[in-house]
Amino acid sequence: MPEIVGGLFALAIVAGLIGALSGLGGGVFIVPALVIIAHMPMKVAVGASMISVVATSAGASVAFVRDGWTNLKVAMVLECATVTGAVTGAYLAGIIPTVVLELMFALMMLQSAYFSIRKRGDDLVEHGDPLSRRLDLAGEIPNDQGQPVHYEVVNVFSGAGLMVVAGLMAGLLGIGSGALKVMAMDYIMHLPLKVSSATSNFMIGVTAGAGALVFLARGDVSTAIAAPVALGVTAGALAGSRFLPHANERVLREAFVVILLLIAIEMGWRALSGI
Amino acid sequence: MPANDEARILRVWTPVLLRTILITAATILILGLLLMATRSPGYYVQRYQAVQAGGLHERERFGELIANALGGDPHSVMTVGLFMLTLVPLGRVAFCFLLFIRERDYAYVAFTAYVLAGLVVGVMLGRIG
Repeated sequence: MPEIVGGLFALAIVAGLIGALSGLGGGVFIVPALVIIAHMPMKVAVGASMISVVATSAGASVAFVRDGWTNLKVAMVLECATVTGAVTGAYLAGIIPTVVLELMFALMMLQSAYFSIRKRGDDLVEHGDPLSRRLDLAGEIPNDQGQPVHYEVVNVFSGAGLMVVAGLMAGLLGIGSGALKVMAMDYIMHLPLKVSSATSNFMIGVTAGAGALVFLARGDVSTAIAAPVALGVTAGALAGSRFLPHANERVLREAFVVILLLIAIEMGWRALSGI
Repeated sequence: MPANDEARILRVWTPVLLRTILITAATILILGLLLMATRSPGYYVQRYQAVQAGGLHERERFGELIANALGGDPHSVMTVGLFMLTLVPLGRVAFCFLLFIRERDYAYVAFTAYVLAGLVVGVMLGRIG
C-alpha cells in the first residue's frame, strides 16, 4: 500500500505544481497523469481530478480574496452560469462514451495552449454597462506603485454564455476550465487579467464542487485514488504558488504550451486508436 | 449595512471559512489513509487493482457512510473527507447567501440561492443517475 499511495501522491504533487505554475489548475494535468501513467480508466481520473480541483481552488483563493484580487460579486453572478453547465456536464459524463471524453479533453488542451500563447495585457474600459452598474460589479486593484486603479465591467450576458460552456466542459472532463473562464472575463468582460485569474480560480471551486457532488453521490469517485491525489495536488499547488513569484513567466508559458500540446496529442491518439 | 461593510466581511471571513473547511477535510483524509495503512492495507491494494481494471462503484447510503466512519472504517472515513472537501464551495456560497439576506440585497440573494440549488440538484442527479 505505501508504494501505491506514495506513487499517487508524488504524481499528484507534480500535477498540482505544474497546474499552479501554469495558472491552469491541477485538473488539466492530473487527468492525463492518472490515465497515462497510473493506467486508470478515464472516469476514475475525472472523478479524482474534480475533487482535487476543489481543494486547489480553495487553497489558492485564501490569499487572492484576502489581498483583494478576487471580484467576489462578478464571481457570484457568473457562478449561476457555470454551475448550470457543470451539473449538466457531470450528469452527461456518466452517459457519454469514454472515447468522446478523451477527444474533448484533447481539444480543451489545444484551447488552453492557444490561450497561453495569446495571453496579453489588460484592456480596461471606462464605463460599465447598465447591468454591470445595477449589480455593482466594478472594482479596484492596486497598480505597481500601490495606488488603487478603478475598473469597470461590460458584456455580462456574453461572458455568462461562455461560462455555461466552461461549466459544461468542467463537469464533463473534471477540469477547472480556468482558461475558458479567464478568457470570458478578460476578453469579453474586460476585467484586468490578474482579477480574471483570481476570480476564475475562486469560481473553479463551485464549478468543480457541483460536478464532484454528482460524481460522489453517484458512487463514481474511487476513494482509494481520490484521497491521496487530492492531498498531493493541494500540496503541489501550495508549493507552486509560493514558487510562482520567482519564476520566469515567459519560459514557464512556453514550457507549458509544449506540455499541453503533448498531452493533447497523447489523449487524442488514445481516443482515436481505441486504447 | 453599508456596501463597504459587506465587502469587508466577505474579504475577511471568506478566506477563514475556506481555510477551516480545507484543513478539516485534509485532516480527515490523512486520518483515513493512516487507518487504512494500519488496519487493512491489503484491502486498499485490492480496491486499487479493481479500480484499475474498471470495477468502480462506491455508492453508499449517507446514513451507513456516517455510521461506518464513526466506527473507524478507513474507507468511509476517507469518503467523508472527500465529501467535506466538496463542502468548501457549498459552505462559502451558503455564507454569502446569509450575508446578502442580512443586507437585503435581493439580486445577490437570488444568485447565491440559484448556485446553492444547483449544488443540491447535483447531489440529486448523482443519486438518480
